Amino acid sequence: MTAQDTAEKFFGAMQAGNVDAVLALATPDATVWLVPLDRRGPLAADGARYLGELAGAFPDLLVRVRRLFVAAGRTAVAEITIEGTQAGDFLGVADQEKQFDLDQAWMLTIAEDDRISAVTGYWDQNQLYRRLGVKRLDKINIAAG
Amino acid sequence: MVAAFFAAYRAHDVEGMVDLCAEGARLRYVPFEVWGRQRVLHGEGTVRTVGKLIWTALIDAFPDLTNTVTSLRVGAEGNVAAEVSIGGTQAKPFGGIANAGRRYELPHLFLFRVSGGELIEDIVAYWDYAAWKRQLGCLEVD
Repeated sequence: MTAQDTAEKFFGAMQAGNVDAVLALATPDATVWLVPLDRRGPLAADGARYLGELAGAFPDLLVRVRRLFVAAGRTAVAEITIEGTQAGDFLGVADQEKQFDLDQAWMLTIAEDDRISAVTGYWDQNQLYRRLGVKRLDKINIAAG
Repeated sequence: MVAAFFAAYRAHDVEGMVDLCAEGARLRYVPFEVWGRQRVLHGEGTVRTVGKLIWTALIDAFPDLTNTVTSLRVGAEGNVAAEVSIGGTQAKPFGGIANAGRRYELPHLFLFRVSGGELIEDIVAYWDYAAWKRQLGCLEVD
């Protein structure tokens, strides 16, 4: 399996909402940094929590990989779009059954054994709030009518 | 090439940034979008039109704007990923954010495509506009 294969499997497992499959692709001590959430820690804890919330809130989630390349240092860099219809609270945002799409960029550091050792995710949380009907950043759980 | 681009940005040399890009080079600043009644305007276009406009306006609104490249990764086919911390102190309104004189510092991810002729052909940037607004004292999503 190449670094690119590992990355493709990562996003496939993300779409399937299969957190165990994501973790199976990673080393036990893999880390995650979800930049807009200011969440840094073990992939098995912080990453699993985010992916579980995403899968729970968007059961029809689609993950479209728009660009993927492997850079020096065995870092897979991907631009993806996630799309779905909200069916549960997500990151503190109440469910209004809104459809959303969000562009994200992910960097996956792949170890020599082709397992993921670090994950970093970038996106704009303001866009996510806008699409889910949030009006104010200090009142995330109060959505627009 | 990419390091030179951010050095020019630090020097507020917009012409220098543009000169490092190919004629017709494209730019997409993903978080820039304005939702109107009829359509959504995106921060997307050519470096020589949209890019130049954005960089000039940013430097004008944040006169001490600076950046630190925290990682630079080069891939095949001219692909480059740069993690960059960008910060500055607001002196004028910008992008719907009123001036409260506050300072921001935010991690960004820039993705470049560089041609064989060593010119930048494509720039895509990701960062969190919500964190930007919060740091500058704006709490409205739109």
